[in-house]
Amino acid sequence: MWLEASTVHYFGAALGAGLAVIGAGIGIGTLASSALQGIARQPSAAGEIRNNMILTAALVEGVALIAEVVAILIVFLK
Amino acid sequence: MRRWLVVLLPVALGWGRTEKEAVPTSFILEHVKDSYDWHITDMPWGRNPDGSRHYIPIVIPLPRILYHPQRGVSVFFVHGHTEAEIKAELEKHGYTLGADGKIAAIDCEPILDLSLTKTAFQLLLVGMLLLWVGRIAAKAYQKNQNGVPTGIARVLEPVILFIRDEVAVPNLHHHADRFMPFLLTIFFFIWLSNLFGLTPLNSNIMGNITLTFLLALIAFLVIHFNASKGYWSHIFWYPGVPVWLKLFMMPIEVIGMFAKPFALMMRLFANILAGHLMMLSIIGLIFILAAVLKSVVVGLGVSVFSVLLGLFVMALETLVAALQAYIFTMLSAVFLGMAMEESH
Repeated sequence: MWLEASTVHYFGAALGAGLAVIGAGIGIGTLASSALQGIARQPSAAGEIRNNMILTAALVEGVALIAEVVAILIVFLK
Repeated sequence: MRRWLVVLLPVALGWGRTEKEAVPTSFILEHVKDSYDWHITDMPWGRNPDGSRHYIPIVIPLPRILYHPQRGVSVFFVHGHTEAEIKAELEKHGYTLGADGKIAAIDCEPILDLSLTKTAFQLLLVGMLLLWVGRIAAKAYQKNQNGVPTGIARVLEPVILFIRDEVAVPNLHHHADRFMPFLLTIFFFIWLSNLFGLTPLNSNIMGNITLTFLLALIAFLVIHFNASKGYWSHIFWYPGVPVWLKLFMMPIEVIGMFAKPFALMMRLFANILAGHLMMLSIIGLIFILAAVLKSVVVGLGVSVFSVLLGLFVMALETLVAALQAYIFTMLSAVFLGMAMEESH
């Protein structure tokens, strides 16, 4: 068979990592665009908006990183 | 362009082959994993009889601490490098290497491996450094009564005030002072560990999931030992909704209770691990490409990009080191504030 087990492992890990990055990219991009619009409309609230943006970005990133860890585990523990 | 060719051509002709040991995958894995000794680097030292380079490892040996139910605790150092050497030395003390690579007793008794590993040692090192710096800062405040910080306290004061005014007070209100020691310890410990991981000393403290698990466990315990009555009632018997919805909400809320510290653990671990892997992969690309294409010119060409990109990633990682410490502290404070909120 031309497709070995390790090839499938690597392919799955790479595909999973890439999909997770797409999700996180859309999430953080939307978040940053909204936050920048908010700051542009209300510059005096910039500090508070920035803090909330970092916090929410961390939450979005956390979910994506869990997927990345799963991808790393597939490669390391196969 | 021509000048570059003049420089590179003799290089390419002279050393057309790179050495076999240059492929760095095992090197990257060794950095990421925990180990029984602190292997800092290898120093090239002369040549072996067969003409290949000889390397002297620069290693800080760490003690193996093993507990055997009958023989008690034994502490010793292992100096071997290959598996056979390590096994022979372990057998002198009545232990051996099991099939899974872990240490086992020769008489097959279940033993406890409490060895001081690389991560544990660096953890203690960072902790002691933090204790020392903190003591100096505290003494500086005791000495002068006018409140103007001196020495290292001048560096720490803005950071501590930032944690108090931006993290603790907005989330914990009048409880802020009670939890400042917790938040400051977490913040400085994670920050300093991350910065220590950026030095070329082969250190990967927060990229170890056991350690981030323990930090998240501490945060979990602090949050739930200080939780108000309202918090528990929101988890187990959500007020103000019909009974079928109460029953439906309960498992979701219980999962949420554990999901928060789990996310804390994963975020810190994956961020630091990803940073270290990225850094090593970018620099390792030089050697991988040079070895695969068997050409030093490719290695030199790639190294220009790799070093510039590596520099950029390093700058990014310096930011991430502080950012992840801030985020862990901030989220702990947010969850704590949510748990301590009185019901209304």
